[in-house]
Amino acid sequence: MRRSSTSRRLALLLLGTVAFFVTFTVTPALADDTLRIAFIAYQNPDQLLENVEPVVEYLEGTLGEKVKAFTATDYAAVVEALANGTADVGFMGPLQYVMARRQAGARPILGEIYNGSDTYKSRIFVRKDSGIKSLADLKGKTIAFTDPISSSGYLYPLDTFKMAGLIKTRDDADAFFGRIYFAGGDEQAMRAVLNGFVEAAGVGQFSEGLLRGNERGEVISIGESRDIPSHCVVVGKDLEEKRVEKVRQALLALNEGPNHGLLQYLYGVDGYVQVNADTYNEVEKVATDYGFLQAP
Amino acid sequence: MEIQRRDTARRYIYGSFAALALAVVGLWNVNAHIVPPEKLHPVTESYRRMEFMLQLNPVVWTDVARDATVIANGVEVVDPAVGGDYRREALGLVEAAAERGGLPLVERRQTAARVHGLSANAVAAKLKAHLENAAASLDDHSRATAELSEARALWSAFEPALQASNRGAYAELGRTWLELSSALGSPGVLGMGAVAADVQTFEDGKARLIAALTLPDEPVAKAEDNGTGVLAGLLLPETAYSPQAMLAALPPGSDINKQLPRPRQILNMATRGVDEAETPMIALGDMAFDSPEIFGEPARSLGISCNTCHNKGTTNPKLFIPGISARPGGLDVTNSFFAPHARNGIFDHLDTPDLRGIRFTAPYGRNGRFDSLRDFTRNVIVNEFNGEEPDPMLLDSLVIYMLEFDFLPNPHLKPDGWLTADAPAEALRGEEIFRRDFPQMNGSCASCHDPADHFVDRRRHDVGTVQGAEPHSRDRALDTPTLLSVAHTPPYLHDGSAATLEDAVAHFNDHYTLELSEAELADLTAYVRTVGSGTEAFEDSVFTLEAELEEFSFFLSTYELLRARGKDDLVDATLKTVAFEIEAHKWDVQDRRHMPTLDRLQDLVTEAWEARQRGEFEVADAHVAEYRALYEENREVLR
Repeated sequence: MRRSSTSRRLALLLLGTVAFFVTFTVTPALADDTLRIAFIAYQNPDQLLENVEPVVEYLEGTLGEKVKAFTATDYAAVVEALANGTADVGFMGPLQYVMARRQAGARPILGEIYNGSDTYKSRIFVRKDSGIKSLADLKGKTIAFTDPISSSGYLYPLDTFKMAGLIKTRDDADAFFGRIYFAGGDEQAMRAVLNGFVEAAGVGQFSEGLLRGNERGEVISIGESRDIPSHCVVVGKDLEEKRVEKVRQALLALNEGPNHGLLQYLYGVDGYVQVNADTYNEVEKVATDYGFLQAP
Repeated sequence: MEIQRRDTARRYIYGSFAALALAVVGLWNVNAHIVPPEKLHPVTESYRRMEFMLQLNPVVWTDVARDATVIANGVEVVDPAVGGDYRREALGLVEAAAERGGLPLVERRQTAARVHGLSANAVAAKLKAHLENAAASLDDHSRATAELSEARALWSAFEPALQASNRGAYAELGRTWLELSSALGSPGVLGMGAVAADVQTFEDGKARLIAALTLPDEPVAKAEDNGTGVLAGLLLPETAYSPQAMLAALPPGSDINKQLPRPRQILNMATRGVDEAETPMIALGDMAFDSPEIFGEPARSLGISCNTCHNKGTTNPKLFIPGISARPGGLDVTNSFFAPHARNGIFDHLDTPDLRGIRFTAPYGRNGRFDSLRDFTRNVIVNEFNGEEPDPMLLDSLVIYMLEFDFLPNPHLKPDGWLTADAPAEALRGEEIFRRDFPQMNGSCASCHDPADHFVDRRRHDVGTVQGAEPHSRDRALDTPTLLSVAHTPPYLHDGSAATLEDAVAHFNDHYTLELSEAELADLTAYVRTVGSGTEAFEDSVFTLEAELEEFSFFLSTYELLRARGKDDLVDATLKTVAFEIEAHKWDVQDRRHMPTLDRLQDLVTEAWEARQRGEFEVADAHVAEYRALYEENREVLR
């Protein structure tokens, strides 16, 4: 149980930070009585659709309506699908969600639980032999983040430096660091530190685990962000409240009982916890502070 | 079926990088000491493996051909002309060498250097094509990301060699790739947070990489003088061929991880209730068996010890090193990588034998080349793994330790080697066949695998499994291996060419024309399997940290004895081995709040070693005492 939940968290972090192709493979027009769920697939969308079939069957049986699974290859595509009405339900990270609600009125219905927690953190890693002991030591140094639109791989690492009193804005960050890079993913950022390309990485909490066992001892975390609400299940603004509630209850019912095993097809979460838009107000504030969003 | 389906679901839901994370982290708490393979682009993997294999003597050209084909296919996708040229020329050279069954020295060096140069150019051409594609699609973020990702994955083909030879260029070009990924910008979410691509930065970075990737077809004496990039210096020089210059790294496709669950090791004295801490020579031998320190380079840096192949004194069925292993479970011990001075120039893979009951199974080596276990062990250290001449006390300790290895208990076997009456019926029928005389064999199976004497006869026989050097040559004889515990140690025959006991039995039926029926073959196999079975062949827990730490306390139990005898090298080896082993196993800790304790234990033995190097022996004593106290204080929670 323990080991799988750790891996689930990592898988989630990766989902949240690695940006690849953006294309919808299937976007047919469907009747209004069909619930359309957008899943993310980095490769082999057909295989994914086959594999989520048990979830689709479960939901159809529980909801009493037709369910259609779609695949997208990143969060931007899921948000776009929710916005233009080609999907009713999607899965995304907190930063993507607050952007989606601003742009498309998306609503969060459930937060995901990993490692028994509905929050996670970012960490700042350096090489153990670098002599760098504190965040302040990173002044003038190089740092790799994961992606410009990432909660744990950019927004919250920046916030960690802000909480330490080292920067106030994103522009400050540009001045504070010698150079900022976006490595494309947590693992790439960690490897950039490990191999000495950069002096630090701002990444998800468990990114150390993306290194091989014999490499992990060479890096160390010198800073940790405040809690980040975990990734969430989001519905489009037009989905009727009655249907929303049924979806919510159907997914919450997976927390225990005979269908618990289906969670592994849903990004391998431990379970779900009820959330509402307010859960992400702090994320929105942080995102606004750093200019990811305009002040309302 | 359900389980398989779930695994498949996971793999595709998360995608390749996430699947790697699962592989890495799914095992985090339980067996983090099992190092997963590096996730590489197929072309990168083939290039790196080929680069390793081309430096071996002999070169296994058939394996090189497989990798050259992967490279050709990968290059043809982006540039059919370059890919086609490569296939014709490089693969042509390799296939011709394979057909000839090898090449003489000078021609081999020239061919290896030429194939390596052509391969580097082909991979570089593919990399450059993807870089250009990325540059041309900067207005299409997803396409540019995919193309850059492909190019970056190909760059890894050259990274290990560059990292080892030119750290400055390695780091500078590593940063260049970060500049390129940063220059892609971001499409944002519905346009919000979008960052435009930085075309100029991308072009500048691309130009630097292309300059580095400019390679000559042939190796050159000094790369920069020839208008070529830093990578040109990495091509294999055909004139200065030197196995010693090889990187101390194993190629992709290698697996030197130990088994999980671990085989159950039976030490005779421990079974009788004796604590290893009370038997210093056994504890010292145990340490040496697990210690890369007793070997030389490159085995030492790679963390290879006796225990790597003979896991818990048995075998390691997954062990594989491309170019050195013909199949999993063993390797060519007279190869040019681990001990170039003692290579025999022949690719002669040996399946790793199980060491259980080794005190009963002389002579040693698959062909019975050593009558003495001590001589055999010394040869492994010095001539197979390039170690210094071992201290006599160390060599004795290894022998004394191995003499404690026992076979698994087998309740179906009587002391005289006959099956018990309650053994499976087919095995009992097989026992009759096993003891039946066949004139073609000058006796029975039991004549050599003597049931009354641990199923060995301590002699060497030609059983038709070795291809001789020439017709009628006498180099085909092999030592009779025991059948005890054999059910748990596939594959079979000296070279592991029989995957199952069925295959091994079938070989004897064919070779000696025994003309056994299908039913008789099944019975005979059932007999061998019953004889070769034992109770609890594997440990029931996959959590190994607690047992490992207890073992390290055994290793350190020899500290005072070795100090008193003035065996400084052995004290140093013990401390280094314990530090190395803690590093390898500490990530297995189930409750990571105890990691600082493990770090401290590791630091204490490391500091003890360092103090000894400075001549501060009392300081080292104090560190060892502190280690013991800290371990005792925490042993209940360190698991």
